[in-house]
Amino acid sequence: MKKKRYHILLTICLMAGMAAGCGKTSQESKNGAETLQETEKSSRAKEASVIVTMPTSSEPEAGFDPVYGWGAGEHVHEPLIQSTLLRTNEKLELEQDLATDYQVSEDGLCWTVTIREDVSFTDGEPLTAADVAFTYNTCRDNSSVNDFTMLKEAEATGDYEVKFHLNRAYSIWPYTMANVGIVPEHAYDESYGTNPIGSGRYMLKQWDKGQQVILETNPDYYGTKPGIDRVTVLFLTEETALAAAMAGEVDVAHTAAVYTQQQPKGFHLFEADTVDNRGINLPAIPAEERDGLRYGNDFLCDVRVRRAINLGIDRELLIEHTLQGYGTPAYSVCDGLPWYEEQGETAYDAAKAQKLLTEAGWLPGEDGIREKDGVKAAFTVLFHPEDSLRQALAEEIKNQLLELGISVTTEAAGWDVAYDKAQSQALVWGWGAHTPMELYNLYHSMEDGLAEYSPYHNETVDDYMDQALASNDMEESYELWKKAQWDKRTGITQEGDIPWIWLCNVKHLYFVRDGLAIAEQKIHPHGHGWSLINNIDAWSWE
Amino acid sequence: MRKPSWNQRAKTLWAAAGILLFFLLVVIGGSFCAKRALVSDFSAVNCPPGRAHLFGTDWLGRDMFSRTLRGLSISVLLGIGTAAASAGIALILGILAAMSKRLDAIVSYLIDLVMGIPHILLLVLISLAVGRGLKGVVIGVMVTHWPSLARVIRGEILQLKEQPYIAAAKKLGKGPWGIAVCHMLPNVLPQFLTGMILLFPHAVLHESSITFLGFGLSAEQPAIGIILSESMKYLILGNWWLAVFPGAFLVILVLMFQYLGESLQRFFDPAGFHR
Repeated sequence: MKKKRYHILLTICLMAGMAAGCGKTSQESKNGAETLQETEKSSRAKEASVIVTMPTSSEPEAGFDPVYGWGAGEHVHEPLIQSTLLRTNEKLELEQDLATDYQVSEDGLCWTVTIREDVSFTDGEPLTAADVAFTYNTCRDNSSVNDFTMLKEAEATGDYEVKFHLNRAYSIWPYTMANVGIVPEHAYDESYGTNPIGSGRYMLKQWDKGQQVILETNPDYYGTKPGIDRVTVLFLTEETALAAAMAGEVDVAHTAAVYTQQQPKGFHLFEADTVDNRGINLPAIPAEERDGLRYGNDFLCDVRVRRAINLGIDRELLIEHTLQGYGTPAYSVCDGLPWYEEQGETAYDAAKAQKLLTEAGWLPGEDGIREKDGVKAAFTVLFHPEDSLRQALAEEIKNQLLELGISVTTEAAGWDVAYDKAQSQALVWGWGAHTPMELYNLYHSMEDGLAEYSPYHNETVDDYMDQALASNDMEESYELWKKAQWDKRTGITQEGDIPWIWLCNVKHLYFVRDGLAIAEQKIHPHGHGWSLINNIDAWSWE
Repeated sequence: MRKPSWNQRAKTLWAAAGILLFFLLVVIGGSFCAKRALVSDFSAVNCPPGRAHLFGTDWLGRDMFSRTLRGLSISVLLGIGTAAASAGIALILGILAAMSKRLDAIVSYLIDLVMGIPHILLLVLISLAVGRGLKGVVIGVMVTHWPSLARVIRGEILQLKEQPYIAAAKKLGKGPWGIAVCHMLPNVLPQFLTGMILLFPHAVLHESSITFLGFGLSAEQPAIGIILSESMKYLILGNWWLAVFPGAFLVILVLMFQYLGESLQRFFDPAGFHR
């Protein structure tokens, strides 16, 4: 691996040479690269193996243990090594994986699931309802990354039947069942994360921490046999991933919009649609201090100001500027998902935004910045210092809002302070998950009466979401989730309180070796990593 | 008519004046560029150096000339401030060491302690502990750079203590503070001054390094460390100007101060008076 690093370095030097423009030699080396690419491709196709790069942040810190976030943590994806009770298909509809049937009681407090009888772990032991109950109870007791507070007890009521007793009705429980990989009770200990035993499509062959993960197919898998036998995942930064693709060392390299102009020879660009959105929170209450922490913002607490900002951001232009067009406008945290309320979509209208600000009493001052009672129309947009896209978005917001007469200051804030600062200032966030719980997490008030990440409170919105969770019909709950966003009177959209402004969904971009067919992707959630290989078993070399 | 004699001392003076003028220009220019260094313009991103942008632009369309100049001025101001403070600490500890045996042991222990830990590591730890940002850098650089100078001053003072005129002063009833201020301070002043100026390059480079590593100044500030770490992502696209100009000017700045320090050392050296 050390050697590989040198190769990458060497490539970078080489490329710098090319960039300097030595016409003939660069042509020759390109031809050389082409033949190299061809041989790499044929050898990989023969073995039915694939080498994929992912951001260094995608390496699971606690290993491949679902209890500590593997597949079911901040970044949701299929656990591959383990099976889940349910799974979502390309259209995000629920399908059965281990489960053969599931039912919920009338009061929504008990879910009964029957599971397949022909499944065994890779160590030969059969997978039974006891393992399922053990997994969920362990998650409930230990999971620090996922919310399992609604689960009272998982109980194996037969060899192949399990009952989940809940503390409160939780209509989206099936989405939890689609995320949590089942671990074996007999082989689960502290070292499970590094030696995972599961019943999924793949087995962990090798894990070199900080470098790579190798997965190989599970020969006893109960479902369709995967088309790719061996997957190697390398954890690299975007620059090194690009260099590795140029050197022909990988088959799929994750990349970002800025690098698309440097498409490596023998590769094509693959764009995956996402709900990996970026947006800013606007603290919706007047400034106050609680327990020594500042909450709220006197400028942003006026709903007309928030509406004007939402109207005054030209999302198409923003995407062109910051993502070179590789994105789609975002109007909510869940664009395109089954619980998305389309009426939140707001067309860019600067004139209307100006009017709103004037109505709110913010009048243009001498320097072009609006003022009210001697106070400047100004706020701060925070961004994560190591995320160049978020910085670009902050800068773009600053430029666009200057046209409205609002002065924005951009400031870097690491995650150690960002959560606290976002209680009184705007922060560029990234969200997007395959569960409506995200609406709940962002907009529903907590015990202290305010939403968790940005101060906001609306009784009606809270009620709809509580009802949605209490419903025992998933389809019906989607309607309630939509009403929480906008019920034609109030909500969190432009006509409502608009406490968050959504900017864009970032397309996930990959350089893919010609000849490798990537199967149809479900809409990617936040996180540029494991989602891509959710369906690696359906990929193929032509 | 006699030609003006360009001996070493005159040369040193002229060079010092020139270098100081350059620093003044950097600081003044930097303060003029403070605003412009932050303005992003998405219609002119990743421009190579040219007439409109002397040093090119970065991925947000920010003018690299303004950013470089502003970054250098931040470096100069921070460097002077921290070097002066660090030298001050060194002077105080050096004099304290000469006061009594026990104090000397404590100071020597402190010097060994700080010198024993790799500089950059200690800097990162201190900066993290006090909350990063400007405060982190200033405190970090201040409390890590004094030991070598403190050791020099201590040695000098220990040597002075053996001098007959110090003994005479003592017999005449002067207290230890009186001796320190009246007799020792003037003697160690040259060492102190050159030491302070020679601290500056270290302070500047260390400030840039920890900022580059992400433990220093905040990412929205156009410090040289920030500029260089941002450029890393775009070098693979062939945007060499993002790193070359800021890097080169940082090196030039540091070399100038090094030269200034070294010539001052010779300037104060009595044996070289006639050179």
